[in-house]
Amino acid sequence: MPLFDDEFLKKLEYLSIISKRVFAGHFKAERRARRHGTGVEFADYRAYVAGDDFRHLDWKAYLRLNKLILRLFEEEEDLPIYFFVDTSQSMTYGSPSKLDYARRIAAALCYIGLANLDRAYVVTYADKIRSELPPQRGKGRIFKVFRFLEDVTPGGETNAREAFKTYCTEARRRGLAVVISDFMDPAGFQNGIDILRHFRHDIFVIQVTSHEEVAPVLKGELVLVDSESNLSREITVTPGVLAAYRAEFARFGEEFEAYCAKYQLGYLRTVTDYPFEELVLKVFRQGRFLK
Amino acid sequence: MKFLALTGLETALLAIATAGAIVALYFLKLRHRRLVIPSSLLWQRVLERREERSLWEKLRRILSVLLAVAIGLLMVFAVARPQIASLTGAAAKTLIVLDTSPSMLARMGDGRTRWQHATEAAKALLKTGGAGLEFRVADTSGQFDMPFTSDAAAAQRTIDNMRPVASTASFPEVDEAGTQVILISDGVSLPAVPNGVRRISVFEPASNAGITAFEVRSAPSAPLAFEAYLEVTNFGKEARKTSITISGAGPERITRDAVIPPGQSFSDLFDLSKFAGGGIRAAIQSDGDALAADDVAYAYLPLNKKARTLLVTKGNTYLQTALRLDSYVDLSVVDPKEYREDPAVDAYVFDGFAPAVQPARPALIIGAQSVPWLKSPTGMVDKPEFSTWTEDHPVMQYLSLHDVSISRAAKIDAANLTVLAASGQKPQIPLIVASSPTATGPRWIELTFDLQSSDFPSHESFPVFIDNVLTWFGRDQLALPRTTGIVEVPILNAQISGPDGKAVASQAYIDRTVFDAPETGLYVATTGGHRQYIAVNLTNRQYLDINRSTWTASPAVRLALPFFQHEPWFYLLGLAVVLLILEWFTYHHAMSGKSRCD
Repeated sequence: MPLFDDEFLKKLEYLSIISKRVFAGHFKAERRARRHGTGVEFADYRAYVAGDDFRHLDWKAYLRLNKLILRLFEEEEDLPIYFFVDTSQSMTYGSPSKLDYARRIAAALCYIGLANLDRAYVVTYADKIRSELPPQRGKGRIFKVFRFLEDVTPGGETNAREAFKTYCTEARRRGLAVVISDFMDPAGFQNGIDILRHFRHDIFVIQVTSHEEVAPVLKGELVLVDSESNLSREITVTPGVLAAYRAEFARFGEEFEAYCAKYQLGYLRTVTDYPFEELVLKVFRQGRFLK
Repeated sequence: MKFLALTGLETALLAIATAGAIVALYFLKLRHRRLVIPSSLLWQRVLERREERSLWEKLRRILSVLLAVAIGLLMVFAVARPQIASLTGAAAKTLIVLDTSPSMLARMGDGRTRWQHATEAAKALLKTGGAGLEFRVADTSGQFDMPFTSDAAAAQRTIDNMRPVASTASFPEVDEAGTQVILISDGVSLPAVPNGVRRISVFEPASNAGITAFEVRSAPSAPLAFEAYLEVTNFGKEARKTSITISGAGPERITRDAVIPPGQSFSDLFDLSKFAGGGIRAAIQSDGDALAADDVAYAYLPLNKKARTLLVTKGNTYLQTALRLDSYVDLSVVDPKEYREDPAVDAYVFDGFAPAVQPARPALIIGAQSVPWLKSPTGMVDKPEFSTWTEDHPVMQYLSLHDVSISRAAKIDAANLTVLAASGQKPQIPLIVASSPTATGPRWIELTFDLQSSDFPSHESFPVFIDNVLTWFGRDQLALPRTTGIVEVPILNAQISGPDGKAVASQAYIDRTVFDAPETGLYVATTGGHRQYIAVNLTNRQYLDINRSTWTASPAVRLALPFFQHEPWFYLLGLAVVLLILEWFTYHHAMSGKSRCD
């Protein structure tokens, strides 16, 4: 079954319409304001406040109204959106796999971004940057995004810090960084995100988990082998151990959420059997994606 | 402590092997199932947190091994079936002796017999027995004496097979010291009871009138006229009206009523001249009689018939006279030349002659003859004397041969024959021989000397000898009187049939046949065409005086039971189950395995 079929496309179109309807009135002014700048195309007026560039004062209006009115112009710059998709070995687990789910979310959000004429960057990473799609703009480029995501080859250990550091140290404009991962990083989930914060990106985090991780069905004497590091551990799984694991998993999520709240990062956690379109709508409701 | 199922060495070896195997398996462990998970990051943290309690975890694992070893050892010891005196008491041994004398058949006030009460009491004792108790069940008649066993069911089966019989009572020997002996009896006909025996009495006073004597006999003056002697005794405390009935095989019947004072007997003669031959039954009836076994007695009335006897002789006055004087003999005399075998003849007497072929009826041969069916003479001996004779043989009963003179006798080889009288010691010269008891043909008696060469016919023993011979040849006789129980008859290898005509198992014992006669009645012993009736009656006053008891029961006889009622293996297995559950909660249920990174 193809990852991005017609049904998926229909859902994307639906999400695109929904996004416009939901966010148009609420965020329009702010979005425009962010785009007001040094362009040549007149956009709007607003009252002058101290600190404004008085070169943009409309003196004719002053003469007619005896008020200082500032002329606003369209900003020609678009918003770069960076989609970081974790393709480490751990993302291949789950039903459907966490990677497939991440790719669908990335594709959906990318489509919304492209539809809003934002510049979309899609990057896959594990222990380093594994592949990178050149910036795309416009809805028509979504198929290129699909092909890129479909061609992703999973594998390797997770090292987000190294990957993001490599990516961000190249000359990049600040933008919205959407990180889609399970964040099972041996070095800690915050290490990679700290890098993005350091480069002052607006960050949105989507933690993808599977049911097997949330509530594992294990029993008895086992050797657990880490899919990324191949480290093994002998363990006797008892109900007590399972309870301790579930508590640890919940603690991990709480720590992650607290971290995101502390630095005002967008955060969503999902499981792979949750409808991805619902998740995308949740992303919209968080108000960080479309500005 | 000792082990019942295994030896101590076997138990020790099994215990060592089991403990070793459990510990080895613990260290070897089962191979863990390998499972690849996306990330061990969180599992690592879980184990790190749990390993903070590593000391307790290790202790719990050691406890788990110890529990597993303990469970294994408990099961091994359970299999070995230990006997631990401190837990279940030393194997207390109890001998239960049941009185099987016939008075135990007396019915009690509740309608059940003393015997039924006794067996119930014995079974109740068996049921109260604990694990450490071993039982031995025996009776006073010597028929049952099982070895000590802890199998109460086997002891119960033995009790079920017991029954009261009339036999010499004897108390079973108590070999082992410390054995608790319990006697259950009515105390009527007890053997000597050792000291220390605890008693359970099933005695209850009861009324009983029983036949204490019943005999058919003939008057010496009229051998063919028979009468019955009957004696009935009232063993109760009150006078009893008793109805007496004597009946035979035919319609003849004699009835009489008698009122018998307490402790007194009624006896009388009953003329049986009108009775046809066969079994005679005497029965008494009185209200409220507690013992039925002594209300009936049996005897046998010989068939009123003379034996047709053919004397083959050239002429022998003494012999003819002796035979003609015998009341039971219907004599015919022929010359040897005119001898022809006659199927109507009951017995033959050959004097100085023997046919070439053995006749189909018993025969007395006087004088050794050279014919194929007899031993031929091998020579002659002069003036032999009767030095030995077998007095217990029916033919030689009541004979005295000391003064008999013989001028000449033939020598024969007596191999396979029964020598009834002989001369000298070594070598013996047989003078009177009988056919082998194992021979299949008709019986015969041979005198190795002629009557003309001896003064035997002039002795008073001669007619007795002739009568004995003809009786032994199969003349119908009175029944042998016997009492219920083990019965002996002086006939070797006899086939015994009971009152119902069915064969009774019997055993040959020296020169007699022994069988078990549990019920009163007429038994028949048959051998070689000869038939002997045995009247088995319960007429012994020792058994019938059912109120004779002066016995007192021991107060509340109960077995000394240990605190633990079951065998130790039961508790060992129970403890093993408890430990198994404990092990489950300490290991499988709540404990994680030791983790490590490869």
